[in-house]
Amino acid sequence: MTVQNVYDAVLAYDEEEVVKLVTAELETGTEPEKILQEGMVAALDTVGQGFSEGTLFVPEMLMAAEAVKAGLEILRPILANLGAKPHGTVVIGTVKGDLHDIGKNLVAMLLEGAGFRIVDLGTDVDTELFIDTAQKEKADIIAISGLLTTSMMEIDKAVRAVREANKTRNMNIKVMVGGPPVNQEFATKIGANGYSEDAPGAVEQARDFIAN
Amino acid sequence: MTWTPRERVLAALNHEEPDRVPLDFAGTGASSIVIDAYNRLKDYLELQHETELMSKLQHLAMPDESVLQRFGVDTRPIMAPGRRGGGGCWLDELTYVDHFGVTFKGTADTDDKHFLYKDGPLHGGKLTRERIDEMTWPDPDDPGIFTGIKEQVERYKASGDYCLVLNVPDQVIHRAYALRGMEDFLKDLYRNPNTACYLMDRLVDYNIRASENMIREAGSENIDIIFFGEDLGTQDGCMFDPDTTYTRLIKPRHERIIQTLKSLTGAKSLFHCCGSAYKFIDHLIDIGVDALNPVQITARNMEPERLKEEFGSRMAFWGGINTQEVLPYQSADVVRTETERCIEIFGRAGGYVLHAVHNIQFEVPPENVVSMYDTGLQHRYG
Repeated sequence: MTVQNVYDAVLAYDEEEVVKLVTAELETGTEPEKILQEGMVAALDTVGQGFSEGTLFVPEMLMAAEAVKAGLEILRPILANLGAKPHGTVVIGTVKGDLHDIGKNLVAMLLEGAGFRIVDLGTDVDTELFIDTAQKEKADIIAISGLLTTSMMEIDKAVRAVREANKTRNMNIKVMVGGPPVNQEFATKIGANGYSEDAPGAVEQARDFIAN
Repeated sequence: MTWTPRERVLAALNHEEPDRVPLDFAGTGASSIVIDAYNRLKDYLELQHETELMSKLQHLAMPDESVLQRFGVDTRPIMAPGRRGGGGCWLDELTYVDHFGVTFKGTADTDDKHFLYKDGPLHGGKLTRERIDEMTWPDPDDPGIFTGIKEQVERYKASGDYCLVLNVPDQVIHRAYALRGMEDFLKDLYRNPNTACYLMDRLVDYNIRASENMIREAGSENIDIIFFGEDLGTQDGCMFDPDTTYTRLIKPRHERIIQTLKSLTGAKSLFHCCGSAYKFIDHLIDIGVDALNPVQITARNMEPERLKEEFGSRMAFWGGINTQEVLPYQSADVVRTETERCIEIFGRAGGYVLHAVHNIQFEVPPENVVSMYDTGLQHRYG
């Protein structure tokens, strides 16, 4: 039995098997970080790649992310005891006025699977709440999404407010934006630090922010 | 020859060129206009009338006959009248429980006032046949679905030879999402496919029975188009695998609705699918769909040239004027150029009905709505 089995169980979307295998790996003395990175994060990256390439779809992403989440429930307290820190903290939500959240949920699940701590504020989130929460939680990133075209204005306002708060409150929070009507041109125009057209790309962006 | 509106649309759907491109406005529940944008349009056109509601949950207006005449619109909708206000009950201004027991929530103090499902009778836990059977199902014979349709059709017929579009009153996977929760139903399609199919079969039965009631009232010979559909695509791809999940589980259900209603009426089938419909188009052609709406050209693989070249002889396109980038944010001149481009590409050898991609949204200025329709109205084939 190896960490490869954990990887395979994530790709088989088998939550129960992931839990069983993670527990067994820990019992045989495998490093928790190795199980996390090589078993679960790597598998979720593979699913994300398939999603971006159009060979895997929303249900597969949901199921793989849930399988990883089940494994994380076991690993997280052990990693915390060993003094491991999350890769970063992301405050996420849909913008004021927008209730569409499946894209946001996918991004949150993938980020969590990739080792980030997620503070999910849900839908229809006030800009001030994004900023206050990010400050309180010492977040590295605020991730904002919307589906409606009317959300573009709200996303613009929210991004400007985060940039302003970075100055006035002496913070250094990166803000990333996403959702069907958003594109790179718009993200650049409004001064967002990051944009991705899909959920796996959002994970890459978040990793880049933390690495740099 | 002089073309009537009905002849114009049907020619286009038969891939023939009529006198000009046919125009739709509110012939379907996905080609109307948000109330605020409609009120600005009404003022701009200096037309005075009460704004009629098409859908309270989507915050849509039913344009007045004077507006439809002004734009030369060729379509008219046949819709379940009792559903316009919702047909369920309002718990407060922002909370509505519909006839399936699904709770919809709106948002306060925002421009876009449409509602989204947030809870339903099959949310949480495992999906079982027992739960599906035990939930309260609405009655497809409820007079709210068909009362007034006969008179509505008579009014249309008395005022002109319009292309009448029967709007199937509900959906299958979208209704399943609402009842069950989108994420859980998507997972059910993989983990619990037999029960997911059972739910979809019951929803197909409901839609067919309710539509039969509407067809009976309207008179089957008066229905030119059956409008039905649901979103299979996302901005960047497919919601689920088109060749496995869709083909095995969902496509047979869509086929049953479309084929049953086509055979009852002899009408054309117009299918609504937002997002990137590209990989589903061959499947839709297989099950008898004649035209695709709303043709979201900003989604992946949905460029007009690509669609027309690959599918243009077998599928007509209905919609296509860029709602995400052009209509709300560009000038009336840019709208004209973009409309001309769509007519030129999609409308080659017929096969195109002009409208925006989906309902005209809150922020679209009236000048742009007028520019889009006037470009269509002034167009001439040949």
